[in-house]
Amino acid sequence: MREIELKVNGLRRKLGVADDELLLDVLRREFGTTSVREGCGVGACGACTALVSGKSVSTCLSRAARFDGAEITTADGLPADDEVVDEFVANRAMQCGYCIPGFVMMAHELLGENPQPTDEEVVEHLEGNICRCGTYSEIHAAIKAAATRRAAKNERATA
Amino acid sequence: MTTVESRSSVAAVGERWARVDGRAKVRGELQYAADQPVRPCLDVAVHRSTRPHAKITAIDTSRALAAEGVVAVVTGADLYAEFGDRLMTGPAFSDQPCLAYGKVRYVGEPIAAVIAHGAKQAREAAELIEVSYDELEPVHDVDKAVLGAPFVHDELRPSIVFGDLKHLRGKRDTNVNYEYNLRKGDPSSVSGTTVSYDFWCPPTHHVPIELPFAAAWCEGERLELLATTQTPSYVRQSLADLLDLPLNRVRVRTAPLGGSFGAKMYDRLEPLVAALAWTQKMAVKITATREEAFLLTTRHGCAVAGSMTADENGMIVASTSDVRYDTGAYADVGPRITAKSGLVAPGPYKVDNVHVRSRCVYTNKPSAGPFRGFGVPQVTWAHESLADELARQLGEDPVEFRRRNMLREGDIAPVGTPMHSADFLGSLDAVTEAIEWGTPFVKQEGTLVRGRGVAVGMKAVLTPTISNAVVQLNQDGSASLLISTIDMGQGSDTIMAQIAAEVLCLGEGDVRVVQADTDVTPYDTITAGSRSTYHTGNAVRLAAENMRDKLVELAAERFGVVATDIKLTSDGLVSAQTQENVSVSELLHGHFGARGTTLTAEANFSTSWQPYDHENGLSPQVTEHWFAGAAAVQLTVDTATGRVHIEHLAVAGDVGRAINPAMVEQQLSGAAIMGIGHALFDQMVFDEGQIVNGTLLDYQLPSIKDMPDKLTPIIIESPHRTGPFGAKGVGETTIIPLAPAIANAVRDATGVRITQLPLTPERILTALEEQS
Ligand code: FES
Ligand code: FES
Repeated sequence: MREIELKVNGLRRKLGVADDELLLDVLRREFGTTSVREGCGVGACGACTALVSGKSVSTCLSRAARFDGAEITTADGLPADDEVVDEFVANRAMQCGYCIPGFVMMAHELLGENPQPTDEEVVEHLEGNICRCGTYSEIHAAIKAAATRRAAKNERATA
Repeated sequence: MTTVESRSSVAAVGERWARVDGRAKVRGELQYAADQPVRPCLDVAVHRSTRPHAKITAIDTSRALAAEGVVAVVTGADLYAEFGDRLMTGPAFSDQPCLAYGKVRYVGEPIAAVIAHGAKQAREAAELIEVSYDELEPVHDVDKAVLGAPFVHDELRPSIVFGDLKHLRGKRDTNVNYEYNLRKGDPSSVSGTTVSYDFWCPPTHHVPIELPFAAAWCEGERLELLATTQTPSYVRQSLADLLDLPLNRVRVRTAPLGGSFGAKMYDRLEPLVAALAWTQKMAVKITATREEAFLLTTRHGCAVAGSMTADENGMIVASTSDVRYDTGAYADVGPRITAKSGLVAPGPYKVDNVHVRSRCVYTNKPSAGPFRGFGVPQVTWAHESLADELARQLGEDPVEFRRRNMLREGDIAPVGTPMHSADFLGSLDAVTEAIEWGTPFVKQEGTLVRGRGVAVGMKAVLTPTISNAVVQLNQDGSASLLISTIDMGQGSDTIMAQIAAEVLCLGEGDVRVVQADTDVTPYDTITAGSRSTYHTGNAVRLAAENMRDKLVELAAERFGVVATDIKLTSDGLVSAQTQENVSVSELLHGHFGARGTTLTAEANFSTSWQPYDHENGLSPQVTEHWFAGAAAVQLTVDTATGRVHIEHLAVAGDVGRAINPAMVEQQLSGAAIMGIGHALFDQMVFDEGQIVNGTLLDYQLPSIKDMPDKLTPIIIESPHRTGPFGAKGVGETTIIPLAPAIANAVRDATGVRITQLPLTPERILTALEEQS
């Protein structure tokens, strides 16, 4: 057992975790973030993706104890006007919905690093996430649309 | 009195309404079964067999029992002592125990369950259980299994669910638990050009991204269960039989499913948690790991020896298929798959001389069950490869050859049933037009060779089945819809709302679908086989019509006119004679004299069929309706690496009428993408009965990288006379022709006919080498 401090979706908390406890389980149990989910447990599907300081992490492979002091964002903690979420909704990028929050977080990571990704860059970035319902075209379109919207917003802001 | 301009039809059906809960899904706030707040549950983990076929001689649970956090350890023998033969469940045969006793029949079969504080403790303790075995000879392969001993089961045990299997009870010394034969004319009597091949599709897995989950507890003298299931009504009956309880003492609750594709049907984790909760009087839950999910059910591996003969006019005159479905250690719904898919083995063609022999075969492997397409993709793989090859050997265009031989409206299918609303031709024409079939293209660029292929698919909807719906219209004009159809991504909650809204002139968001809960929502056979749009959709339409009639009567009373004078519009009810009008809200308030009241209407919709003749397999009405679909593809094969790259894939499905075109397109595309996996790389690999690639690191699934450069989903609407607004289902349609379309394109590109799936680079390279 170790005491660590996590900041999850803006909420800072101290908590005790076992040495081998997974970040996935801690986020779900302690913070009620249902958007991180186990799909494979081996880092191969992306359903458990969260962002740690803007970088995507497979929480099913990550021991919580390593994340002392980390700032973590999950899909259910995104602001209400998040443009990635809006564009996923507008582009119908969801079927059963189980995999989708993982894709949303990957999209955030990508757009954070590369505000205007090419089609190839989108594909490269999402390659490790599986959507069994086959929502790939819609997800791809949503990310492109979110990039465009962000660019327009930034232009307005700097104008 | 005011006069209203009546907007008599609010468009609901045919509109691209947004998916219910779309935003909650994107944000991850929608609660799946494992996210639902239930009472604190102990965790269950199971100890699994390491042998494919063996007698259990002893089980030592003492170390597990002594482990930290362990509350109880229960073996199959313990449960058998409690339940006797009732421990055996299954939709077709009562052959599967939730924990094995006496004997194990596949590697990975659960033998004992540990109940503990915490999943980790339970799993660690399960490892400490020691089982002694007396090994029996296993049988791993369908072709060996049909020949005779060793036998997976000593005796066949049909369940009471399917009355027509009863005659099989007590049959011994066979691994063939069901055989369907279709005989029409005499294929050996005709001559012409014949092609024949042996085809093989390996077992594959559904891999819905949500893992299977089940929790159960006792509520007084009742059993309550929350599970990832697409068959709540079936599970309630199955658990009531197991526990010997009346139906009203078993409650099955569901949640939206994170995908299923057939994996979460019939008896999966539910009998185990129910038996443990009931015998131990504890609240328990089990979440399968991905590795365990692979052991719960699979798609049938299938061997087909097929032939097709055409006469000098290019007409198909004979077709034969010897189909063997590998159902693994337990039959599950394999016998149904064997018959319902066997009857379409000749494909969507007019053929006078047909012989199909379709068998369901036990082997010592994890049990195979329903999977999107219900066994039809496996036989379509054969008939569409044969039709293609026959056309090529006749020197004919594969599309023209198919067009000439294809079943059309009113034609009698080989199984004896006349065709209606099964637009094979429209589907074929649409996909070939989309990829510009017939226009020239560059055949070769360096090591890349390019080809085009096409295939058509035919499937019967599950018949007979039963659906019920209850509509509650609230006094404020909003509605709740009570059905037991499960939304697992196909969008049923949205389209059922659209059907009810269309009838009741309600708007987007006005109809809420209540989560299936057997205490609350009425019986529905299953959510599967693309049946819900038609069956539950019809029940919903009828219930909404009953509601409309009730409203009309109330309004007629209120206005003092005859009911035929009243019309329901989006603004309420209006009398044609007096122009008097009233909103639904006012009408209900006036009727009940209170706010917040509800008016209820319900309906049932059942379909019937004429069972096929057990001698020749023929039936004048073997199904309520048919699905027709087609796929056409342009691709390249890299002759240096064996890699296939899809440039354009067009898929079409005849849905009768698209209730929500956006969702139909997603179903068409989703099934096609899953089909790409089956065509090119998806497969479960076994070594001596042991699955060797049962993790997502080893089991390959289509990723965004496997998307074709262009994917075109095409909706074909050939309205069905009895569908709700003409609609039929769609979920499976385009997975059916997918693999043969790709293989036919590979044949076009390379000249090589490959008869085994998947078309991996190694397999293609080997075939190319053999050819040269
Ligand atoms: S659950 Fe973590 S990547 Fe699949
Ligand atoms: S939406 Fe179902 S797995 Fe992606």
